[in-house]
Amino acid sequence: MKALEVKGIVKQFPGVLANDNINLSINKGEIYAIVGENGAGKSTLMKIIYGLYTPTSGEIFVFDKKVDIKTPYDAIGLKIGMVHQEFMLIPRFTVTQNIVLGDEPSKGIVFDYKKALNEVEELSEKFGLKVDPAEKVANLPVGIQQRVEILKILRRGAEILIFDEPTAVLTPEETEDLFKTLMKLKKNGKTIIFISHKLKEVIAIADRIAVLRRGKLQGIVERGKTSEVELARMVVGRDVVLKIPKAEAKVGGTVVSIRDLTVKSKRGIIGLKEVSFDVCAGEIVGIAGVEGNGQAELVNALIGFTRPIKGTIAFDGEEIRVITPFNIRKKGMAYIPKDRKMRGLVLPFRSRENIIMGQHTLYPFSKNGVLNNIEIDKFTTKKLEEFDVRPRDIHTRARNLSGGNQQKLILAKEMSMEHKFLLASQPTRGLDIGAMEFVYHKLIEEKERGMAILLISLELSEIMGLSDRILVLYNGEIVGETTPDKTTEEELGLMMLGLKKQKRVAQ
Amino acid sequence: MKDVLKRIVFGKREKYWWMNALVPLISILLAFIVGAIFIKITGRSPVVAYKLLFGASGLFPGPYWKSHFAEMLLSSSMYIATGLGFAIAAKGGLFNIGAEGHFIVGGIAAAYLGYAKPFAGLPKFIHLPLIIVGVMLAGGIWGAIAGYLKAKRGIHEVITTIMLNWIALYLIEAWLVIGPMEAAVETGISGTPYISLSAKLPKILPPTRLNISIIIILAVTFLIWYLFYKTTFGYEIRTMGHTLMFGMEAPKAAGINVERRTIQTMFIAGAVAALGGAFMVLGVLFQYPPIFEGGYGFDGIAVALIGQNEPLGVILAGILIGALRTGATTVQLAHIPKTFPSIIEGFTVGFIALQMLIRYWIMKLIQGRKKSVQTEMGGGAK
Ligand SMILES: Nc1ncnc2c1ncn2[C@@H]1O[C@H](COP(=O)(O)OP(=O)(O)OP(=O)(O)O)[C@@H](O)[C@H]1O
Ligand SMILES: [Mg+2]
Repeated sequence: MKALEVKGIVKQFPGVLANDNINLSINKGEIYAIVGENGAGKSTLMKIIYGLYTPTSGEIFVFDKKVDIKTPYDAIGLKIGMVHQEFMLIPRFTVTQNIVLGDEPSKGIVFDYKKALNEVEELSEKFGLKVDPAEKVANLPVGIQQRVEILKILRRGAEILIFDEPTAVLTPEETEDLFKTLMKLKKNGKTIIFISHKLKEVIAIADRIAVLRRGKLQGIVERGKTSEVELARMVVGRDVVLKIPKAEAKVGGTVVSIRDLTVKSKRGIIGLKEVSFDVCAGEIVGIAGVEGNGQAELVNALIGFTRPIKGTIAFDGEEIRVITPFNIRKKGMAYIPKDRKMRGLVLPFRSRENIIMGQHTLYPFSKNGVLNNIEIDKFTTKKLEEFDVRPRDIHTRARNLSGGNQQKLILAKEMSMEHKFLLASQPTRGLDIGAMEFVYHKLIEEKERGMAILLISLELSEIMGLSDRILVLYNGEIVGETTPDKTTEEELGLMMLGLKKQKRVAQ
Repeated sequence: MKDVLKRIVFGKREKYWWMNALVPLISILLAFIVGAIFIKITGRSPVVAYKLLFGASGLFPGPYWKSHFAEMLLSSSMYIATGLGFAIAAKGGLFNIGAEGHFIVGGIAAAYLGYAKPFAGLPKFIHLPLIIVGVMLAGGIWGAIAGYLKAKRGIHEVITTIMLNWIALYLIEAWLVIGPMEAAVETGISGTPYISLSAKLPKILPPTRLNISIIIILAVTFLIWYLFYKTTFGYEIRTMGHTLMFGMEAPKAAGINVERRTIQTMFIAGAVAALGGAFMVLGVLFQYPPIFEGGYGFDGIAVALIGQNEPLGVILAGILIGALRTGATTVQLAHIPKTFPSIIEGFTVGFIALQMLIRYWIMKLIQGRKKSVQTEMGGGAK
């Protein structure tokens, strides 16, 4: 039986044909992956199926019945659920409260929390999705929060589950857990559609893979009938070198020097404990670690969002007492945030307005406080080309860019800013493999030009491939320092889980 | 021509740029229709009422047009001032309810600088600019207090601006005008003394009362527009306006000093709204009376909302509200209370609040022939 069929879907945005006559037919109980370049139209297609966008033309069939999906409510009524990339959970609420929100069991007119707890427990048992129903969502790691989202849509009776880049925010372990979950759901007869840029995992789990390119359906491949290289070629239309080029580090003087840095987390506990390390000109220092082990605290202290309770940060040999984003950027720091919507972009701003944010006070973008639009436009045009932001139109608003293209815009902004030190937190999140390759080259190029780079990434392959030195964060402490040639991904993995420590050479 | 206009008003290449003008226009139209229905229900003639209203509004030629026109612009300049006060803050993501307070602070400052001794003897070309600067400083500081509390203490500006409104009111009416600033008993004047001749705003359309306030406020509006869209300062304010309310931190992460800009934005908002109070004192009342007929500050919110927080929009909306108020007294001839225009104003704001819905209708209308409606296009330049 076909769970979902779309026929001739076209979606025209002003100036952009996002979906161009897409035909897909997805069987019940299938895990169906959708891959494609940034801006290929994947999210748009999913949003059409979920009722967030109305197609310009085309038809949708759910369980062999022609349907008209106008709103997400229609979609939910047709047993279609979507797990968004930004979770829609309320952090202060418990798991149970979040799951039943909007459709609470009640005793008379009173909310029956006991019954809800039982219901959630049953649900979690039925699908083998372990959660603690009474725990507050704020205290849960991302992977579990995602599980709560899944339970929430399952409770509403979803038979078709859509995931837009579910693994972009997950650690490798969490990804594995998610895939186990997906297999269980499949066994329960659920149909799963998911988008990903990580071709390896797509090949591992999907029954069929559809490739989109520039809004058109490029082809559909069956399970086991393709390789990563071949799929990559289908996605970007050329051969992609997935290998990261090696470049010897020509290490210069110390640029950033951190000593005994201790930082409180947002929850008030100590999130980073007496961490010390240096980053020198011409090297990439990689921070490996499971999300939530002190990365956020380190970043916040470095960019001046949180004041450390102990320790010092020196820049170019000069200790900075109070760091603010303003003064640290003036010293020469660029910062690629991991959360592009919260920290990277002003969503209603156009590309030309976003790309100068942070350097807008500098010549030639402005003089005596007056913006120079001609120079800004020239610069933007050049950078959109260089970083392959699509569409090239300098007037596109950031919120109308695809996720990956938003990321490219941030990279273009930060990497073209005058800097000596680059703090890159998940720089390739959401990028397609072509763009990822480009960013790797860019980072290596920066390093060769003598920049100091601190790379924080959940992708071990990225850490291993790019870093000259690797520091492992676990529970707010550096539990190991090594270099890529002296370790393996497995060993790093163990260290990240705190199961193995490695003596550091004294600083 | 269309292209030039569109560029000036809405920035470049907005596909549905006219939407930003059409939505307020439709809201106004709907408000008048609802108003007409109300009049009809109460058994009176909407046609007669609207004829009277517009005939005396100053918008259209007719009997006594010159004087109506003058009165309209006189009050419009005040509405534009308070409207800008709200719009400036809104551009920076702040919800400024304080224009009422800024307005009276501006009024009392103008009165004081207008009659007090060392200043009152100065020649006009020095005295008047001095008063304007003093008024803007006073209003600016009043605004900046709320900005400071927001930036450094995290207290929401809605709370502080409302409190500051009351503080200003009591300071002025319960102390200054009946205490230190009260006119001497033997003059027989209640309220503050009258301002000196050198403090009065020069008239531009004798024999009417119209004075240069409208020119001043148009110039100020232009400067505000320039500030917003042409300078790095305005750019920073706009980054805040699109993010702060949603807890987004992109401007801060980019090194923009959000705290300082918040204080400065509120300073400017207060300074501009205070001009309205100065116009009142320097051009209409010539003193600060014991009880000030207020409301300009709150009408300013309506003006800003109808004008979509854009400088040109605020001018047009300010003129509209000014016209409605000018025509208000004559609607009584049709046995309709003179508060009727406020009802129209209220409904207009109400419909503006429904603007997403109106946008949707418009999109549906223009795309009626196509099968689908693409609401997500209608986001426009908000
Ligand atoms: N609301 C919108 N208004 C205008 N254009 C849009 C809108 N949403 C998406 N687009 C455009 O449609 C195209 C497809 O976007 P979509 O988000 O579907 O890409 P995607 O395949 O999900 O890419 P990514 O991998 O980067 O997330 C892009 O060129 C994008 O700029
Ligand atoms: Mg996408």
